[in-house]
Amino acid sequence: MIYLDSAATSLQKPAAVRYAVLDAMAELSSPGRGGYETAMNAAETVLDCRLALADLFCMREPERVVFTSSATHALNIAIGSLAGPGDRVVISGYEHNAVWRPLHALRADIRVAASPLFDQDAAVEAFRRLLPGAKAAVCCHVSNVFGYILPVERIAALCREQGVPLIVDASQSAGCVGLDFDRLGCAFAAMPGHKGLLGPQGTGVLLCRDENVQPLLFGGTGSESESPDMPPYLPDRLEPGTHNVPGIAGLLAGVRWVAGRTPHELLHHERGLMELFSRLLEASPRIRQFRARDSGTQAGVLSVSIGGVDCEEAAARLGAEGVAVRAGLHCAPLAHRTAGTLETGTVRFSFSPFNTADEIRSAAAKVLALAG
Amino acid sequence: MYYLLTYRSLTYAQRSARILERAGVTGTVSRLPKAASPKGCAYCVVVAARHLDRAMDILRRAGFSPMRVITRRDDGTLEVPDDLS
Repeated sequence: MIYLDSAATSLQKPAAVRYAVLDAMAELSSPGRGGYETAMNAAETVLDCRLALADLFCMREPERVVFTSSATHALNIAIGSLAGPGDRVVISGYEHNAVWRPLHALRADIRVAASPLFDQDAAVEAFRRLLPGAKAAVCCHVSNVFGYILPVERIAALCREQGVPLIVDASQSAGCVGLDFDRLGCAFAAMPGHKGLLGPQGTGVLLCRDENVQPLLFGGTGSESESPDMPPYLPDRLEPGTHNVPGIAGLLAGVRWVAGRTPHELLHHERGLMELFSRLLEASPRIRQFRARDSGTQAGVLSVSIGGVDCEEAAARLGAEGVAVRAGLHCAPLAHRTAGTLETGTVRFSFSPFNTADEIRSAAAKVLALAG
Repeated sequence: MYYLLTYRSLTYAQRSARILERAGVTGTVSRLPKAASPKGCAYCVVVAARHLDRAMDILRRAGFSPMRVITRRDDGTLEVPDDLS
């Protein structure tokens, strides 16, 4: 199979990730629950992962690296910490349902800073218009549908000027587009462990600027146990219950692999594959590609529509021929509405560090045959 | 005799122990005795008496001064600062 659905989850991972998970299941118990060897070794692994993530995302305080079960979990914590019913929250036109639905459930006053695809200046202007009076803002770093790299540095600067806390959804960027958390000055950055960071499913991360956070879950932390309240400090405040130690151990192996190659190098590889794939698909006038004129604003993701072929039908036929892709709305109707593809959806091809040029040529040939 | 350097969380205690380790001082992360843990369940860094002054200096410079310093005598009894007893 040619796996081109890494924007959903990384399937091919470094072997070290598998070994780390297996070793953890055999040898590590639970951090913060005892002083014996397997518990303390588990605590050391968890701390190592916090330190590795803090290093990768340029954070001085690894205590503010919080482990969650997913990016969705992390985003729910971040949103719940900053917004409540009736609060105006400005979001980009490319947000995932992991942002839109929690805000809707909170009955927040959601304002969509819609702007044309791949137009970074327009994105900044859209935020500039809507930020006054906002309680918070949310912006994805990279669109999960189109690979569009949003200008989060400029949007973060705007938010700082106007005193609006910003949540960055780094779900599609973490591990493949650099993010300097401390310099960005955002309130939170949320990300999954299982995409660009190459860890196991069931892992997520929330980077927090300070300890002014509202827990989403309440329970035992192995600290301050006589208090009915959650501890006021991080990471304990946001990490009740038993840690996913095998997952965190695997994530640590993934983060180390990514750090060893650097996100910059990985982006270069994935973008190169995307550009090759795009060039090959240009042979068919029936394929509409959603491409940036400037490749610098697009990561290793390419959405297309194929004239006369329903996107789900296209994905099913490609799947039957051994090419794994995702079709439909990709849990991001806002992004499709902004790009004008809400009615049709798209077929999304997303590339990983493990894809090769030969795979891309083979997949492109199948797509061209499908387009007719 | 040992000293127990208390921190507000396991993570801080671990980081303090690593700072000491890098400076050549042995500090072991351990559960804090219940009698010295008024809020219940906490961790500390255990250092030998002969290393205390150096450890405190290293930790102060690194911005990781402990919340409390508790004495554990050789017979196992604790000398807890008044505000914790």
